[in-house]
Amino acid sequence: MQVNFYATLRPIVGSRTVQFDVDENITVQQLVDAVVTRFPRLRQELLNDNGDLYPHVHVFVNGRDAPYLPDGVETLIQPGDTIDIFPAVAGG
Amino acid sequence: MALGGYANRIAHVDLTNGTVEYRGIPEDWARKYIGARGLGVRYVFENGPQVDPLSPDNLLCFMNGPLTGTEANMSGRMAIVTKSPLTGTVTDSHHGGWSAARLRWAGFDGVLVKGKAKGPVYLYVQDGTVEIRDASEVWGKGVHDTVRFFRERYGEKDLSVIAIGQAGENLVRFACWINEDDRASGRGGTGCVGGSKLLKAIVIKAPKKMPKAADLEAWKPAHKNALAAIMHEQNITSPRKGGLSVYGTNVLMNITSTMGALPSKNSMLTSFGPGAEKISGEYVKEHILVDDPTCHACPVACKKEVEIKEGPWKGLRMESLEYEPAWSLGANCGNDDVNAVAKLIDLCNDYGVDAIETGHPISIYMEATERGYTNGDGGIAWGDTMAMVELVRKIAFREGIGNVMAEGADATAKHFGHPELAMTVKGQGIPAYDPRGLKGMGIGYATSNRGACHLRAYTPAAELGVMPFGSLKVDPLAWKGKGELVKIFQDVHAFSDSLDLCKFSAFAEGVQEYAAQYAAMVGVEFTADDVLKAGERIYNLERYYNNLAGFREGSDYLPARFIQEPSTMPGSQGHVCELDEMLAEYYAARGWENGVVPESKLRELGIID
Repeated sequence: MQVNFYATLRPIVGSRTVQFDVDENITVQQLVDAVVTRFPRLRQELLNDNGDLYPHVHVFVNGRDAPYLPDGVETLIQPGDTIDIFPAVAGG
Repeated sequence: MALGGYANRIAHVDLTNGTVEYRGIPEDWARKYIGARGLGVRYVFENGPQVDPLSPDNLLCFMNGPLTGTEANMSGRMAIVTKSPLTGTVTDSHHGGWSAARLRWAGFDGVLVKGKAKGPVYLYVQDGTVEIRDASEVWGKGVHDTVRFFRERYGEKDLSVIAIGQAGENLVRFACWINEDDRASGRGGTGCVGGSKLLKAIVIKAPKKMPKAADLEAWKPAHKNALAAIMHEQNITSPRKGGLSVYGTNVLMNITSTMGALPSKNSMLTSFGPGAEKISGEYVKEHILVDDPTCHACPVACKKEVEIKEGPWKGLRMESLEYEPAWSLGANCGNDDVNAVAKLIDLCNDYGVDAIETGHPISIYMEATERGYTNGDGGIAWGDTMAMVELVRKIAFREGIGNVMAEGADATAKHFGHPELAMTVKGQGIPAYDPRGLKGMGIGYATSNRGACHLRAYTPAAELGVMPFGSLKVDPLAWKGKGELVKIFQDVHAFSDSLDLCKFSAFAEGVQEYAAQYAAMVGVEFTADDVLKAGERIYNLERYYNNLAGFREGSDYLPARFIQEPSTMPGSQGHVCELDEMLAEYYAARGWENGVVPESKLRELGIID
């Protein structure tokens, strides 16, 4: 599964897109677990002390922030879905 | 005046008579309207809402706030306030850098300019005096040459130059003032007003002389707490760690495109697809970033200086490849060439036109071309960068089709017989957020007192979850609650714009921090509730001015495209902006009657007796 990383996360993972060798039909939460397992430095960037995603972190599934999907981070990722992970970003 | 903090000195310049008078600030105005934006609006209000923006009678205000040029973080902002020749509303536009601090160090809270000079002039500000001097040697020059000229004449040390370019001289309606080469007071056509007065530049020579707080004991913790919030690693302002500091404002390009909130190709689309990455902050940092300049008293350093490494503009260095202009002249025009984006923004700065606004008549021309609406006016393809460069020049010099485009987006769309192509509110083009993907921006654009604007109420802070310490996060696609949210943002920003602190302070600081700093600097009791009340008063004064200038029921709207044409892109697919629902909520929160401030509200806020 391909995952795109942005902004300050990108130097940590080393590239824009990273291929993850994970099972089909995993949830967003399981994917995040796989991401921080492979890149331990991302844990403090993405997760609070309780292991939950920070509110300013975005894990988009086809452009929709996972917490707003009907099943939230328990949403099953479908083949062909686009996954984008952002740290806090703003400006304007 | 009993209030501390202020210089309590305003220069009143009459260019018609060639005179300068110095007066204090009416204390009642300072208490009610604080400074910078709020106080500037009060002076413009006093000058009368019926004034023709391009007549000598219009008032052009260069305003500081009580925190400007102090030790306060992010306090290097100046507000330029006037009646806009683009929108017909009151407008204020801010810039960073050092000119605001230097104006304060020279002993002024503001410079108010009225009348029209007999020939080109500039104002020379130094040590408590303002002189009107002959600008014939720089009239006709671009901003960069003008800045260079004054640096050679007066020496670079302790010098700031705020100037208009040829666009202001030629009365392009969205001409702007540029500070120190790259810092734009971009919006609303304040540079056009300068041009109409034959005022070319404000030149300020002032060594550092930080004003002290009236209550030093209270100032120390107030300043310390604000700084701690900015430096905290959980906030995006965190130096060298937060996205804003590391990548600059253009860190937004990828996320808005990903979530279907990046208006592209004149807002026909809500995402720029793979093109977004190629003009993003991440791409810039990897390929052309050379330095991280900053403004007075700012540890964030969001400015990003770039150097073009190849192609026709190789060697160009500039420091304003910001998100908004990169969007306007990039995604908005189907342009994914980051070098061309940098060149185009630099041209806008040199000619002195608002780089956000400039993309609008160009993208309208592009859409008109695609749809076959140009009727003998030629055409331009999406992303034709060389043609864009030439168009920017034509706008600045009002040549050919550029003479139409210089009148603004509405006039351009009307010229092609299709006013619906203009993505404007009250005549001002939208910035870089599509209200189908970030609904708060929809109600924000519609109700902004200066025409479409993201900075009156920066709701993406809540919709992207970057409020201080993650204090609030709301669904960008939900409309409910956004009317009330926008009202709060507008009031808070009206206050911070009057201090005048950078808008980005709001990513780390809240009303408590603002209240504590203002109270200590000025030496008064002031609470978080007072912040909201003062902000509300300022916002209502602006609205009252606009009401008197003819903006009444029906003046708060969005382009039909955002309401009738659903997004077709991932993230916001199928969504339109539910403006009517949000507007009802907003007016209820404001206590307004269909966009008009009732007399009872004016009395409640102390705007009228």
